[in-house]
Amino acid sequence: MQNVVERVLNLLIYLLESPTPVTSNDVRNTIPGYADQSDDAFHRMFERDKQVLRRLGVPLEFGPGETWEMEEGYIVDPERYAIPDPGLNGAERLALSVAARAVRLGGTEPGVGAIMKLGGLEGAGGFEPLGADLGEGAETLGELFSAIAERRRVQFSYRDQSRVVEPYGIAHRRGHWYLVGNTDEGERMYRVDRMQDVEVQEKPDAFKRPKGFDIRKSVDSQPWETGFDDPVQTEVRFDPDVAWWAARSLGLPEPEGELVTMMSVVNRDAFIGWILSFGDSAEVIGPPEMRAAVSGRVSEAIGQLP
Amino acid sequence: MTSDRTVTRLSRILALIPYVLDRQVVDVNEIIERFGYTRDQLTRDLDTIFVCGLPGYGPGDLMEAYLDDDEVIIDAADFFAKPPRFTPIEALGLLAAGMTVLGSGEGSPALESAVKKLSKVVMPDADTTLSVDVVDQSRYVGALRDAAANGQVVRMVYRSVGREETTEREIEPWIVFVQLGRWYVHGYCRLVKGERTFRVDRIREIQVLDEMFERPKSPPEPGVGYTPSEDDITCVIDLKPAARWVLEYYPVQVIRESSRSTRIRFHSPDAEVPARLLLRLGSEGRLVEGPEVAARVAEIGQTLLDRYR
Repeated sequence: MQNVVERVLNLLIYLLESPTPVTSNDVRNTIPGYADQSDDAFHRMFERDKQVLRRLGVPLEFGPGETWEMEEGYIVDPERYAIPDPGLNGAERLALSVAARAVRLGGTEPGVGAIMKLGGLEGAGGFEPLGADLGEGAETLGELFSAIAERRRVQFSYRDQSRVVEPYGIAHRRGHWYLVGNTDEGERMYRVDRMQDVEVQEKPDAFKRPKGFDIRKSVDSQPWETGFDDPVQTEVRFDPDVAWWAARSLGLPEPEGELVTMMSVVNRDAFIGWILSFGDSAEVIGPPEMRAAVSGRVSEAIGQLP
Repeated sequence: MTSDRTVTRLSRILALIPYVLDRQVVDVNEIIERFGYTRDQLTRDLDTIFVCGLPGYGPGDLMEAYLDDDEVIIDAADFFAKPPRFTPIEALGLLAAGMTVLGSGEGSPALESAVKKLSKVVMPDADTTLSVDVVDQSRYVGALRDAAANGQVVRMVYRSVGREETTEREIEPWIVFVQLGRWYVHGYCRLVKGERTFRVDRIREIQVLDEMFERPKSPPEPGVGYTPSEDDITCVIDLKPAARWVLEYYPVQVIRESSRSTRIRFHSPDAEVPARLLLRLGSEGRLVEGPEVAARVAEIGQTLLDRYR
């Protein structure tokens, strides 16, 4: 590894300092460690080293070299290499630094890597009584994130079907990451860990995100609030021991005893499912057809028992 | 094979150099703390920097990097005056970390403005395109976290998952963490006299007591998923396509899958959770195996039918 680290550092300095793109031959003849390799070995090493540069966040570009050169060359633009300065003050850097250490992504700490680039960790280390892991395939997430930022389409396979999506945003909910984007059939949501063979298309600015788009609206509507049934004003009662719990879900103030409330239901199926998730601690008071729908669902469930 | 260790090491070197260049001379202990080094690792990286530089690689071309007593010195490395830009996953990781902590109610005005400034450079529309919400109801996370840090006993009213009963108990909170998108507190429960994990959103109220407790020397790592235990109840359920959302919400095992039906195995501490699930599924889910669950569905179902008659 020692040799790789030295070689990549030298390669990066060479690419940053060169005024014009350099060919792989230039690289081979210049950087210690390449010259004494066979053709095959050199190309393998060079491919690996370029990969390392990309994983470090180095914008490696490939373009025409000097006019009399036949081969295209590599270069790193120092302007594009340098991190854009977010202009954080000391307190802000400290706050981000603490957050970066508390939150992981699938066991890795990409936020800590980012904090290093902003000048290292701040504040005392040691036992941190707060920990979160947002889980899941860090690599795909990174690709999706840059696709959203650069407005590039992504294609992937989802439940064995191939999709092309204009990615609008991503959200983390209930332990999973979701991608929301536009398809031929309208806005759709996909669970990121179920996406396979993710490929980000080349073209940037390939679509426009609608003006009013808000990822939270797309992922946070209560199930009974999104649907096409005619709205039904439904009265519901929750037992005292679940009333506070239901009130929190509904965004209502927490009652002392039981909770009786009216809900506007536009998705009857989803509403019945939610009410039944309270078991026998909740009851639909009216209208009668909603009561009948609940008991109908219960009868179905009992009728299905083995 | 590009090893992660190579990338991690280079990434730290490329962050270290601009930091020292900017200040010219930095105390070795500050570097060790800021960049998470041991002294040996730092010496090794400085030695590496020292032998790299511009083509020619003669004395005037190489970077300077060494320890002078307790001072870190790096020079002749102007090409590394700035760290490399974030990789996409670093940018996302840091933004998401900030948003997670803000969402836990633990945020500060400094963190809020830090997240704003950071989004401006990595994702200008982050407030409408990225949302990290580990759980909506986490108002007690901050108080529990402080109690865990200070070693204070907490009295709480808690609604247990599954058994669905509300009890008052005292706990010694060791750690507050997120698992499957929910906040949990893990520690010693004086009511059951054993180690337990509690869902923070199921805490109705808490009271942080003056009584102190001693935290175990090596508190457990935050958990990473539901581990079935021997006392679990297992059942097998067939789902129709309309009920496939169950796969997204519960930690289930898929036994087999076709376009018409999905067969899953469901583990839970008791029959209550799968029974309620089956009730809400109606004809979209069918219990295949699990006598305890069948009994519980019939029991709650009958109570409900009597009530709605």
